[in-house]
Amino acid sequence: MRIALHNVVKRFKGFTALKGINLEIKDGELFTLLGPSGCGKTTTLRLIAGFYQTDGGDILFDDKIINHLPTAQRNIGIVFQNYALWPHMTVYENIAYGLKLKKMPGTEIKRKVDTSLDKVGLSGLQHRYPGQLSGGQQQRVALARALVLNPDVLLLDEPLSNLDAKVRMKVRAEIRQLQQELKITTVYVTHDQEEALTLSDRIAVMREGRIIQLGDPKSLYERPNNTFTANFIGTNNLLEAHVLKGNGDGKYTVQTAIGSFMGIANQPLSPGQKCTIAVRPENVQINSERQEANSFTGKIHFASYLGNILRYDIMTSAGILFKADIKYPWGCEVMAVGTEVKISFAEFVCLLINDRCTEEHNLTAVGGES
Amino acid sequence: MKASTARAGIDKRFSGNWENPILRWNGWRVLPIYIFLAVFVIVPIIKIALDAFTDTQGILTFKYVKSFFTDPFYLRALRNSMLLGLAVVVTTSILGFCSAYFLLRYEFAGKKLFSYLTIFPIIMPPLVGVMGFIFILGRAGTVNTILMDYFGFLRPLNFVYGWHGVLLVETLHLFPLITMNLLDSMGKIDASLEEAAESVGSVGLRKIKDITFPLSTPGYVTGALLVFMWAFADFATPLVVGVQDLLAAQAYLNIVQFVDRRLFQMGIVIGVFMISLSIIFLIIARRYLALKDYATLSYSPVEKKTLKGWGGFLVPFFFTVLLIMAFIPYLGVTLAAFGKAWAMTPFPVQYTLGYFTRIITETPKYIINTFMYCGLAVIICITVGVPIAWILTRTKMKSRGLLDALVTLILALPGTALGIAYIRAFNMPIFGISLTTLWIIMPLVLAVRRLPYTVRSTHSSLLVVHESLEEAARSVGASGWRVFYNITLPLIWKGILTGALFSFMTSIQESAATILLAIPGWETMTVGIFTFYTSGSMNESAALGFILIVVGGLSLYVINKLSGKKMGGFFG
Ligand SMILES: Nc1ncnc2c1ncn2[C@@H]1O[C@H](COP(=O)(O)OP(=O)(O)O)[C@@H](O)[C@H]1O
Ligand SMILES: [Mg+2]
Repeated sequence: MRIALHNVVKRFKGFTALKGINLEIKDGELFTLLGPSGCGKTTTLRLIAGFYQTDGGDILFDDKIINHLPTAQRNIGIVFQNYALWPHMTVYENIAYGLKLKKMPGTEIKRKVDTSLDKVGLSGLQHRYPGQLSGGQQQRVALARALVLNPDVLLLDEPLSNLDAKVRMKVRAEIRQLQQELKITTVYVTHDQEEALTLSDRIAVMREGRIIQLGDPKSLYERPNNTFTANFIGTNNLLEAHVLKGNGDGKYTVQTAIGSFMGIANQPLSPGQKCTIAVRPENVQINSERQEANSFTGKIHFASYLGNILRYDIMTSAGILFKADIKYPWGCEVMAVGTEVKISFAEFVCLLINDRCTEEHNLTAVGGES
Repeated sequence: MKASTARAGIDKRFSGNWENPILRWNGWRVLPIYIFLAVFVIVPIIKIALDAFTDTQGILTFKYVKSFFTDPFYLRALRNSMLLGLAVVVTTSILGFCSAYFLLRYEFAGKKLFSYLTIFPIIMPPLVGVMGFIFILGRAGTVNTILMDYFGFLRPLNFVYGWHGVLLVETLHLFPLITMNLLDSMGKIDASLEEAAESVGSVGLRKIKDITFPLSTPGYVTGALLVFMWAFADFATPLVVGVQDLLAAQAYLNIVQFVDRRLFQMGIVIGVFMISLSIIFLIIARRYLALKDYATLSYSPVEKKTLKGWGGFLVPFFFTVLLIMAFIPYLGVTLAAFGKAWAMTPFPVQYTLGYFTRIITETPKYIINTFMYCGLAVIICITVGVPIAWILTRTKMKSRGLLDALVTLILALPGTALGIAYIRAFNMPIFGISLTTLWIIMPLVLAVRRLPYTVRSTHSSLLVVHESLEEAARSVGASGWRVFYNITLPLIWKGILTGALFSFMTSIQESAATILLAIPGWETMTVGIFTFYTSGSMNESAALGFILIVVGGLSLYVINKLSGKKMGGFFG
């Protein structure tokens, strides 16, 4: 099942929660809506589920407009953030309920419920009530309940947010595996960028009721086209800059408060234009022998040892902090605060982002289709 | 489980209470509270139970109980009472469920007004209700006069006299008990539970039957048990519409006569039967609710749908019809209170204040007694109820469970049974006088009957004041009682006042216990209504009823303003 949203608008009592959402979700894809709390992810999901009606635009399942189709007829499975297991029914009854409504024979129901319980690893718990299960188990029951009807679309609203860290990792892997096995079109909502990166085929980054970037995890991480995405996904050193000159091939030289840098841009820039440079800490080298396109000096300001990396906050001449990671800190001496260091990074890891271009791009995309 | 998990939660939050200086109450400080409850709740119950099982020499005997259960007359009355109780539960459930569901799930014209008025009938005195129905629907009432004068009916239709009348009156009086309890528990259903049902194809009535209703059962069971008990124990309504073949009516008739010793004993047995029934119900309710702890972690209410088309018309129509029916008695009472020469016409032809003048000048005792007794009762409620609420929330006394159970039991005990128990327990002379000959027994019985409302309201506002607020005050040097007066009291006075007002509003309407206990000179307004009515002075009776309606309405208004929330908690 393919899902498409065309210019979808949703208002709540004068407050516009979604300001024109455009999406094309492919068949069998795990598609993630990622963004901070309140940006409209749940609202988008609920529109797809049919719990809300759109105030503008269309929702399509396989090219068919389904704006007014009731939830019960959309053939979706949904897992809520709080699982929403019916507390007065056992695990078995929870999962079997939808099948019973379909007037399926009892033996068939039993077979299906058993298979799905088996699939989520909960055989033997069918006679428990939801209140007698752990968070992770409830989560799996919710998943089994959503999947037992063979829905065309699986909708997951922050399904892992109520679990503790270890269980979260485990269930996350299970969800991905199950989804790939069943090849079911899945829309996954989360505010956790790491979760989004690990799970998704593609991600839509949302902000204040808009999608500001859409792409696969790698392209979002490596080529964010706006400062919000650059900041929200992973860590980035962001620095105000203006363009000095173009070097051809999407390469430019820019001027910042701590010197001039060479970097690459997604969109064409013109000299004098303002932009932001984004450099990930893991791409920054400290005291490297190698000659890189960009380098400057600073003093160690703060060191945080995270186990797998050692992160330095480096104070630069203009009073701007710059983060740099040592990737294999095993056995590595932690440098004392105040130590002078040389920082360098390559041209192709220095991204030049122009937010205004991105916004205009988005606006024309929205305007163009309406 | 509900009660115990709640208690465990409280324990955790309020652990370390014993280090708290003002909470280091030793048992003796609250001893008066326990003595009060023992004397005025437990002793009467034990005494009446003993009475039922001992003969005049004080020797254990089952002869009264046996004679009750072998007498076909009482067995029939028992069966009738049970059937009536069940029938009222069915009718009130239908009305209560529809009204609660509509109020919770839909937006429609006049909703605010409807939700306010829906609560009204239950806070009205039942006696006023019956009387009002007779004025409008009785043989010579408005409707029958219109039918005969304008529609050529030769004989009046019998709307109220008989079983159907009892059912009608009780239903329209009691359905708000179900509405309120359902509003409370249905309102707590997380929206996602119903949405999950929709996502697997469960819609409409199916969803209501499989998901919404089962999840509302905690409140529903409480409401239904209260309705059953209320209908089972009410004697005034059946007697006024001419039905005597019920246990409560028999209990009343047996107790107020002084001729036949055996009949009197039967009255006592019925009283014990009612008390046992309410205790059994209480246990069932507790057991049942313990299994159904549906509290969820996160919670968002189901969004209200705006009704359009037929629904937008039918739902307000339902409420209009329901409320017109439910308000018929109040209209009837008002007309009769002001109407002069109301006979053979649909409505009075002249209006007068004469009946009010008469009840104020000729029998002022009704009004004076009512306000005096109820005022005193409220003072007792606060004096006893606030400490009880305090013990329940802020201490870890072992007796809390018992205290909690007692307060709930009082809520379920019918006034008829408590009245009979008081008559038996307090007519023994202590120091030469018995309590039943002192008027103070009236405010006392009222206070005991209405104590739970003050306790509950105070209890829930104390729960909201987190103990850390008090600890913070103590940390900056405030001592014991100063913390209570400066921090706690300002935060909970509204809760206390709401509860006290609720206790007041419901005590002015008490008819069962007061009718049974009042001796000449102590009559309250409800007793006055009963005496006036049974002696044929309908209008004076209505005038008293009108005053009760106004006081009740005003109290409800103030309570709404004060608490600003629904009142399901009071009756749950
Ligand atoms: N039913 C509603 N009524 C009013 N406002 C709502 C409602 N649902 C969501 N909103 C608002 O819409 C915005 C987006 O909400 P939501 O989609 O739940 O965000 P997210 O899931 O991304 O955290 C928020 O500002 C929220 O307050
Ligand atoms: Mg959300």
